[in-house]
Amino acid sequence: MTTTAAAAPAFTDTPLVIGGRTFRSRLMVGTGKYKDNATMVGAIEASGAEIVTVAVRRVSLDRTKEEGVLYHLDPSRFFLLANTAGCYTAEDAMRYARLAREAGFNEFIKLEVIGDQQTLLPDTTGLLEATKQLAREGFQVMAYTNEDLITALRLEDAGAAAVMPLASPIGSGLGLLNPYHVRIIKSRLKVPVIVDAGVGTASDACLTLEQGVDGILMNTAIADAQDPIAMAHAMRLATESGRAAYLAGRMPKREIAVPSSPSKGMLG
Amino acid sequence: MIAALPRLHAVTDDRVVGEARVVERAAAMAAAAGPLLAVHLRARTLPGGAFLSLARDLASALAPHGSWLVVNDRADVARAARARAIVSGRGGLSVEDVRRVAPGVPVGRSVHEPAEISAAHAEGADFLVAGAVYATPSHPAEPPRGLEVVRRAAATSLPVIAIGGLTPSRAREVVEAGAWGVAAIRALWDAADPAAAAGAFLAALPARADIGVVINGESRRARAGISLLDLLADLDLDARAVVVEHNRRIVRREALGTTPVAEGDVLELVHFVGGG
Repeated sequence: MTTTAAAAPAFTDTPLVIGGRTFRSRLMVGTGKYKDNATMVGAIEASGAEIVTVAVRRVSLDRTKEEGVLYHLDPSRFFLLANTAGCYTAEDAMRYARLAREAGFNEFIKLEVIGDQQTLLPDTTGLLEATKQLAREGFQVMAYTNEDLITALRLEDAGAAAVMPLASPIGSGLGLLNPYHVRIIKSRLKVPVIVDAGVGTASDACLTLEQGVDGILMNTAIADAQDPIAMAHAMRLATESGRAAYLAGRMPKREIAVPSSPSKGMLG
Repeated sequence: MIAALPRLHAVTDDRVVGEARVVERAAAMAAAAGPLLAVHLRARTLPGGAFLSLARDLASALAPHGSWLVVNDRADVARAARARAIVSGRGGLSVEDVRRVAPGVPVGRSVHEPAEISAAHAEGADFLVAGAVYATPSHPAEPPRGLEVVRRAAATSLPVIAIGGLTPSRAREVVEAGAWGVAAIRALWDAADPAAAAGAFLAALPARADIGVVINGESRRARAGISLLDLLADLDLDARAVVVEHNRRIVRREALGTTPVAEGDVLELVHFVGGG
């Protein structure tokens, strides 16, 4: 007997559309924390991601090193999503967002307003305020938030182009702590829901996409892996796998066994 | 951060402060020199209450002309009187401690020798008062340091005010040695006409070919009369890869070549780095 491996995916998916733009990959990756730029570029390639996040920081005036990420990453090949990481007030986050837009790539901003240094959990009051104002200024705001339905709904009302509930705290690698709430958020929002932060390994990504969310964003899980390029590859497969499983529709869970083989035709 | 630090500094001492007409004389100099003048209140013998009262009188006399009140050593008085800057002298509070008492007020340190210059720079002082350049009867025990103290202080790239035996005829050489401005006690306060004396100092101060700006939180010197685009080129930065915030306003890339850089400007130059 011969077998033929199916090359093409056996499912058809709708494209991911955020703020009027269509993206092919549901995996988005960060560019921070890599031990060197070659590893970063290799990992991003292996992830198949189209959207990559970057941070806005002061240039180094002493010119001892080329630390700008654009010296290593071709901006024509990737969609640069600037973040406001490190901002603790709405005002600061808006200042960073405006600077990022002036770089001239796009109107998208991954909006973070951090409320606590230890957990890096979001300040949802500041986040809502900044979302409202930036949306008014024409930004496509992708708002990093808690896995809280009410905040997610308010962010959508405030004009967010996408809502980004966390899986668990940034850089924690704890995985998807609250699949139920993430699922609820997805079921109630019209804008895309992208889970951002907290995944640790491929099964976390797969489980996240199985909840039906539109995408996932990660940085540390890849950059801090022993082999970031191999982990990026695993995350790509897991994201695709989780999405495919979601679209396929899983079987219901039962608390009793149901035999897979016919009970008829057993020997007498 | 220094917004347009004045170039002429009229420094008081206990003797000047003891004279009845100090506020009146300060006002006369302020009328002549406007925002180019700073009056330093320095009095070691005055008790706190009298010190603050005099500081407030001076502040009200100077403010209408845009002149600065600078309080020496007493950070508490500086804060209460809303002084524009504080100078901490030898053995005085550190820059950090001054900021604890009076946050947001620029802090200068008075420096005399290389070790003090490096220490003040490392502490994060906003400007330096360097001397004594020439022999001065105000500090007979203090050896004159010559122009060398000005050169060394200016090497930090912080704005430097030269002090010690300064007269209008000596103003040019200290500025050529790198001083941003000059400070004097007797040559101003003891003059028959302090306003005329202040005018004579200002007339003698050559225009500086460079200006003080703050770039990414660091005090820097920049060529006078250049545009933001020139400044980026001087810093060896690629204008296409940098976003410029100029006094809290973003400058579009197309406008960089036509936006001039001015004394006291605060610039943030940012770019994209790796992030999550």
